[in-house]
Amino acid sequence: MVMACRVINKRRHMGLQQLSSFAGTGRTFLGPVKSSKFIIDEECHESVLISSTIRLLESLDLTSAVGQLLNEAVQAQNNTYKTGTSTLLFLVGAWSSAAEECLHLGVPISVIVSVMSEGLNSCIKEVVSLQVPIYNVFDHLDSTKTFSGLETFNISLCPFLQIPSDTGLQKEHDLNDVASPSLTTYSLSGIPVKSPKLFRRQTEVEADKNTLQNPQTLKNSLLASSHYRKSILIHSRHFNRTANNQWINKPDGFLEQHGAATPNTYRCNDLVELEMGLSHGDHNSMKLVDEAVRLQYQNASIQQGNCTMPFRFDISRIFTCCLPGVPETFSCVCPGFITVVSISNTTLIKELENQPVRVILIEGDLTENYRHLGFNKATNINTLLESMKIQQNSSEEVWTNYVLQVLIKFNVNLVLVQGNVSEHLIERCIHSKQLVIGSVNSTVMQAFAEASGAVQVTYITQVNENCVGNGIYVAFWRSIPSDVIDRINVITIVIKTEGINLVTVVLTSPVTAQMQTKEDRFWTCAYRLYHALREQKVFLGGGAVEFLCLSHLQILAGQSLSKRNHVCSGWLHNTSSWLASSLALYRPTVLNCLANGWHRYLSTLMYNTASCSSEFEASTFIQQHLQNARDSGSPSSYILNEYNKLNSGIFNPSISNKLEQIPSIYDIIIPKIEAWRRALDLVLLVLQTDSEIITGLGHTQLNSHETEGFLFL
Amino acid sequence: MSRLEAKKPSLCKSEPLTSERVRATLCVLKGILTSSYGPSGRLKQVHSGFGGCVCTTSQSSALLSNLPVTHPILKILTTSMQNHVSCFRDCGLFTAILCCNLIENVQRTGLTPTTVTKLNQHLLSLCTSYLKSESCGCRILVDFSSPQTLLCLVRSIVTSKPACMLTREERDHLSALILRAFLLTIPENTKDRLILGNSIIVPLKGQRVLDSSVLPGILIEMSEIQLMKILPIKKSEAFKVALFCASLSGDLSDTGEGTMVVTYGVSLENAVLEQLLSLGRQLVSDHVDLVVCQKVIHPSLKQFLSMHRVIAIDRVGVALMEPLSKVTATICSLLLCNRNDTAWDELKLTCQTALHVLQLTIKEPCVLLGGGCTETHLAAYIRHKTCNEPESILKDDGCTQTELQLSTEAFCSALESVAGSLEHDGGEVLTDMKYGHFWSAHAEAPSIVNWPDLLSRCGCGLYNSQEELHWSFLKSTRHPFVPQTYLPHEATGSADNLTLDCFTAKLSGLQVAVETANLILDLSYVIEDKN
Repeated sequence: MVMACRVINKRRHMGLQQLSSFAGTGRTFLGPVKSSKFIIDEECHESVLISSTIRLLESLDLTSAVGQLLNEAVQAQNNTYKTGTSTLLFLVGAWSSAAEECLHLGVPISVIVSVMSEGLNSCIKEVVSLQVPIYNVFDHLDSTKTFSGLETFNISLCPFLQIPSDTGLQKEHDLNDVASPSLTTYSLSGIPVKSPKLFRRQTEVEADKNTLQNPQTLKNSLLASSHYRKSILIHSRHFNRTANNQWINKPDGFLEQHGAATPNTYRCNDLVELEMGLSHGDHNSMKLVDEAVRLQYQNASIQQGNCTMPFRFDISRIFTCCLPGVPETFSCVCPGFITVVSISNTTLIKELENQPVRVILIEGDLTENYRHLGFNKATNINTLLESMKIQQNSSEEVWTNYVLQVLIKFNVNLVLVQGNVSEHLIERCIHSKQLVIGSVNSTVMQAFAEASGAVQVTYITQVNENCVGNGIYVAFWRSIPSDVIDRINVITIVIKTEGINLVTVVLTSPVTAQMQTKEDRFWTCAYRLYHALREQKVFLGGGAVEFLCLSHLQILAGQSLSKRNHVCSGWLHNTSSWLASSLALYRPTVLNCLANGWHRYLSTLMYNTASCSSEFEASTFIQQHLQNARDSGSPSSYILNEYNKLNSGIFNPSISNKLEQIPSIYDIIIPKIEAWRRALDLVLLVLQTDSEIITGLGHTQLNSHETEGFLFL
Repeated sequence: MSRLEAKKPSLCKSEPLTSERVRATLCVLKGILTSSYGPSGRLKQVHSGFGGCVCTTSQSSALLSNLPVTHPILKILTTSMQNHVSCFRDCGLFTAILCCNLIENVQRTGLTPTTVTKLNQHLLSLCTSYLKSESCGCRILVDFSSPQTLLCLVRSIVTSKPACMLTREERDHLSALILRAFLLTIPENTKDRLILGNSIIVPLKGQRVLDSSVLPGILIEMSEIQLMKILPIKKSEAFKVALFCASLSGDLSDTGEGTMVVTYGVSLENAVLEQLLSLGRQLVSDHVDLVVCQKVIHPSLKQFLSMHRVIAIDRVGVALMEPLSKVTATICSLLLCNRNDTAWDELKLTCQTALHVLQLTIKEPCVLLGGGCTETHLAAYIRHKTCNEPESILKDDGCTQTELQLSTEAFCSALESVAGSLEHDGGEVLTDMKYGHFWSAHAEAPSIVNWPDLLSRCGCGLYNSQEELHWSFLKSTRHPFVPQTYLPHEATGSADNLTLDCFTAKLSGLQVAVETANLILDLSYVIEDKN
């Protein structure tokens, strides 16, 4: 074995360049309006339609070392939070360019690392002022106000279309209303929806006569950062599976923001408002999430009776059932377990309907040859037949008979199996009035175990009376008209029992290629709400936090010249190195480069959401706001004031005859901040890397053109 | 039919070190090592080239174990470094770089291997006896009544691993945590011999480094469902535990070669399961409360045990078996968090190194000044010693004064180059003429500079530039001077942010480097069996 070693950053930093180019592919996924991509496999001519970072990376060739590190970072973010991957990918690109820019300007690598890392830390501390506490959102849940009730104005797939607006009240921050067309965002139904960004070219805000929100007063309040976090043990079979079920205590410490202009409290105590804010324009998905939460809440209220345990949104008890080929409008949420079974079960279901059935739950496969994990089958055992008795039944037949005997003995008519089920067994069971369903999700199994008293077993031989669950109802699920469902040639059934803590979200799409996207988008919304409720606080969204970071970094960069060493002492690990004393010299450059990353983020966001016709235009627009923020003396107060204006309601008669409340836009906190950190960590890790060591590679395995730049030991 | 083939003759090369290829590969190896050295060292992406995980590291233990070098000379070098690292965990790069420097410098002197070997041995013993002596000016005795020195030592180790990707706050938190974990492994009541316990590192993913923590005892994971069943635990007295390292999965462990013939109707699986269940009955009748198995427990046995209110936990893994078997000793679990896998791996190695260094420091309660200061100070001391008292060496060996001078220069500049390898950003490296400590400065400094303003502190952080000091570039020649010996106690007591090195590991590293260099320099022939 020969080791090859390649120096990767002689003149240009190859690693950073690779990162930039990988990240560039996901640029259009930033923000609420995501342009889909077709990925075409040139060899087999297959193509997939994707519109998320995770699906993109699944389709890219990331076998290079840097590509793998990128994939690892994105996967880690996705596995932990299920959200924030597009932000992560974009910032990886923006900050690799920033780091490269610093290298060009001659800043030593160690200084770039220290200043960028501490600069981001400083940003994270700064944006605490934009946190909004969430209070008792479930207290008013019984009221008639629901998400679907107010959700009249948007049932389109792509709600953000830009059309010029010829009217509108003049806003003081609208800097060039003559030079460029004023833009507003419209849904397909022609009614304006709010662009999920703080800084819009024109605020199409309307008077607040709607009673759905409590008259909201504004205040900058910030919460002491809470350290409750979800923990996952890796290398674990158990801890990875479900989210930590710990309910987070409501934080109670408030801090007045210094220099805040408005002395009111900004808080969120309405579930619908929170959901609207977190939907980021995807109202269809959030509407389903809202219904799922309400069902869980109702169920919990009934189960608890008088007990006053706070309600907890348990995302692990939500299950999605995808029905491609069914029109969009049939998406819905139902209690219990809805699944698709083959048409051959029709008669059986009819017979089982309207009577409680008994259930058993099998953890593994239900096949003759299945053995539990860790069991090694001996291969060298032959069975000797003593006499010449001809075995009439194969061993499979013997096993099947045994299973049927057990089912009959315990009077079981429903078997839910986590793994695969023997086809032969399913057929035999249909004839003896037993429904066997395979590939059942583990959380569904768990929900049935809790609600019916069944105990999950691995083998059919383990079944005893204690393992059997009671009171399950099986029925046809007829929410979708039979002519629609017949077209796709399946039957949908619902299985439930009293008090089961399980909600099925049925997702439909007429276009099969969009099914995956639809499901991904539902989960994105669900996880956003889940994290927000866990943390009991959210950020003001729509670019507010990123804008504050940008503005804060620019101010920091300006300060360092005057205060010199005082500001940045201790920013470098190694305080005795000359780099510590040279820090003041390079610090503004590095901070500005880091800030440019945020600038690119915001302008791409604006461009993607079609608020601006070009990134340049967006950039100018942001510059103007930055100037305003600087002039105001306190960027965070400036941002809160801008929000105040949006929420105080300005009547704009030309846009719509309808009066609408423009809801706030929120972002989740920890997943967002972690995405920033992961992005910067990856960039700095690659920045500090100077060579790639390839083990186990012979001279012969490298093509001659590749050997260039390699050294062999 | 067998065929006889004549054996190929062995290949014999003389003077292997003079070969251009050997020099070139040594140079590449040295480049990899020096560029990785210290807190601002550059990282290496180590991977197989066939996909699979990418390890980003600058640590010797990760680098050396992944370098499958081919040439015998490089093999000697890497093997002896790996031996050092496996015993001491720390100072691996120091050792390897010093060894490469020595080989390179000695080759330039043109002295015969015999002379060099002898003289190097003498210089080495001068070093070790100085480092061990009371008068040593770069050694601090550890004061166990305060955590300061030990904390500095741990922090220096953590700081020197940039691939952990820690911020300052995270580094301080983790250093304190490592020290706490170590203290938890010291038993409270010891009679004559101190037997240290274990700290088990438990990986936690998805959390911030600041969420890492230390818990006394052993942390075992189990499924939430299982946990719900056994809670709340009402038993007040101690648990009776049965620990199995054998698999209880119910398979036939080893049927050997050949075929086993079984009569029809006999089920081996059922027979084994029956055995397992009778084991279960025994456990129940012995009133065992908790059954822990390294491998898998058969689901039926688990079901049986849980019916009898015995907690069964399987697949705990081999790593936990030893600590579990001595659970009465002092054991703690260090829950370690980091954002991505590659940084977590690096952090784990770092924690293991730091914990090991603390153990070494308990045995030999002193530390060396770090940040390059020990190396430059030692070099100044040796230069002064051989210049002023050459007789003690010369009379034993029959070497000439010139040979001694050449050899000393090679040795001392090898040491100084190691210190100089800490600089990766093109800065200037200097030493002061009073303490012989290591300093760094901006390279583009104006020609007439006020050094005290340009410099801040020496490498270890003990002295600052505002004292009346004189500096000299490390590369330039200078008159031998006596570096100040006997470190004043108050100087070290007050400083709370020193960079420190492990005494035992560094001393051993010095010896290993010199001896390996001597061995390689002395090689006359490489004989390769070509068959």
